[in-house]
Amino acid sequence: MNAPLEEYKSKARNSIECLMKPDDGLFDRRLAALARFEELGYPNPRLEAWRYTSVEGLLKQDFATPPADITVNQLEVETHFLKQPLAGRLVFVDGLYQAQLSECQHTGIKISSLKSALAEGNRRVLEAVGSQTGLGEDGFAALNLAGFQDGALIQVLEGGKLSAPIELLHLTSRQATGCKIPTRHLILMETGADAELIERYQSLEEGIGSFNHLVYEISLAESAQLTHKRLQMESDQAYHLSDIHIALQARANYRGVNAAVGSRWSRTVLHNRFMQADAHCELDGLYLVSDGQLSDYHLDVDHQVPHCTSRENFKGILRGSGRAVFDGLIQVGELAQKSEAHLHNANLMLSRRAEVDTKPQLMILADDVVCSHGTTVGQLDQQAMFYMRSRGLNEEQAKRLLCQGFIADVVERFEDPELIEILNQRVSFQETLAES
Amino acid sequence: MLSIKSLTANVEGKEILRGIDLEIKPGEVHAIMGPNGSGKSTLAHILSGRDGYTVTGGEVSYMGINLLQLEPEERAQKGVFLAMQYPVELPGVNNMTFLRESMNSIRKARGEPEIDTLSFMKQVKEKARLVKLDEKLLKRSVNAGFSGGEKKRNEILQMAMLEPNLAILDETDSGLDIDALRTVADGVNMLRSADRGMIVVTHYQRLLDYIEPDRVHVLAGGRIIRSGGKELALELEAKGYGWLLEEAAA
Repeated sequence: MNAPLEEYKSKARNSIECLMKPDDGLFDRRLAALARFEELGYPNPRLEAWRYTSVEGLLKQDFATPPADITVNQLEVETHFLKQPLAGRLVFVDGLYQAQLSECQHTGIKISSLKSALAEGNRRVLEAVGSQTGLGEDGFAALNLAGFQDGALIQVLEGGKLSAPIELLHLTSRQATGCKIPTRHLILMETGADAELIERYQSLEEGIGSFNHLVYEISLAESAQLTHKRLQMESDQAYHLSDIHIALQARANYRGVNAAVGSRWSRTVLHNRFMQADAHCELDGLYLVSDGQLSDYHLDVDHQVPHCTSRENFKGILRGSGRAVFDGLIQVGELAQKSEAHLHNANLMLSRRAEVDTKPQLMILADDVVCSHGTTVGQLDQQAMFYMRSRGLNEEQAKRLLCQGFIADVVERFEDPELIEILNQRVSFQETLAES
Repeated sequence: MLSIKSLTANVEGKEILRGIDLEIKPGEVHAIMGPNGSGKSTLAHILSGRDGYTVTGGEVSYMGINLLQLEPEERAQKGVFLAMQYPVELPGVNNMTFLRESMNSIRKARGEPEIDTLSFMKQVKEKARLVKLDEKLLKRSVNAGFSGGEKKRNEILQMAMLEPNLAILDETDSGLDIDALRTVADGVNMLRSADRGMIVVTHYQRLLDYIEPDRVHVLAGGRIIRSGGKELALELEAKGYGWLLEEAAA
């Protein structure tokens, strides 16, 4: 193990130790997670899950603990709010919960900061933290449990059906440059609850180089439904790591729609566990990378019980020297008869220098299942280009329409016009298409 | 409006066009017929600016400009339209968006203002009705999952919306049943006007029952071996291409 790593570890330890005063009820778990981290260290390319995604660049940044109090320009933050009616809103700036900017008007839900729920000694919350992740599968996950500062607690009560979405907004300011922001979200969907969560990660200015490090534990009780829309659109200097654990009980339904259109380095891992029969999960995603950017999506869909269905569709557009990694694993255990699982990944390469490593994997032990997987890597269709140009569109216009068309089925999954508009503003294909 | 002189061209070193001469005046409809592999589609593609062909000699003048030096979109902006034999599917690209962007880029190139939404919608619905294209298909992705007939109707719809000066129809009749053929022909006839030239490339005489050409040319082995009036098409229908090929070889 090299010297900077040792140094990073001791810094991590120090920051955790100062965090844990006063005790938030997780002291022992945090210590155990720290020990787990020390045992695992940081992931390296010898681990299959990290084979194509190097963390060297991230570690070199030597991210520090962010300042505990920051100046927040409320008016500026408010300009980023969704304009549509909401059931509730949670705002984090540089990882710090902004109570005065957060609100909840709807019955049937409880939303708050995870830190305050722990401080109140909420037993259920205390038990839920780490219940899905354990101490952490890899060093990062262990570090998050050991050192997370805060996060969102969203609880949709039994039978609660929300008529409007909940907004979860993460902003990073200039003050967070050079800082790591370890956050942990806990989402508890009780029996029959039905909600939509719209989540965005945004930098307040270009060039902010922070490290958002998140672990989610999302549980859906019987017949609960959650639509979870995530837009990761941070500055192109930012680092982002999200580890999302989803557990579904009988007849529960999770729909995740993801977009990674920012960050220098981003990795999102979605673990989907079916705990009981007749549950359903859909994951859609898109990623766009340009010069110097890396986007990584790992899916781990685990069918160990019968009669569950899952569908995944991820699409990427790569330009310049952009890199992407896609790893989609579907496991179907011996007992998981009548499972249905489909996975698709498609990549559009706009440059010769772009690179993608895509790996769909099916591991099936049951014999009465319907499963499929497929992946494609291609370029712009020259026939389509000619067709469009012969109708008067110039090359730029034709490329833009084809790129938009390529990801259209994923974009449609965001459904909400306001969200699609936010995404489209970020994803203008104008400036980048001159090169090829 | 279009004057082709001694045009020769090859594809990957293979000579396909061996000296084409063709003169089209505004208001005229010319049919180009000929056996498979005679160079009909190559000619249509070269006129619209498709890659993959090397022009080795001759010239093509369109309204006084050298057509061959223009990019495909510049040709479209100047009023050249190619209805394709195999219209391309564009998954995820909305048919109406595509049509509107096309119209607007052509208008922009001509210094005209963009078309407003209301007039566009009115026009597109009206013209879709004329070519009997189901309105639902306007909201779908361009040609994606369309039947052969729907694709051809969509081509004619584009032609009707873009109102070209020179329309080239490349085997638009291939793969169409008689009803679709009639609709496509009606669309073409509707667009006939005193200032618009048309080239109808076809393998069979059948289409010419509905679209009456001013001139008929027979292309074989990369050359026009016979030109005549519409009666030439009927003669070909009766006797096939064999006699002409023999005559040309003699």
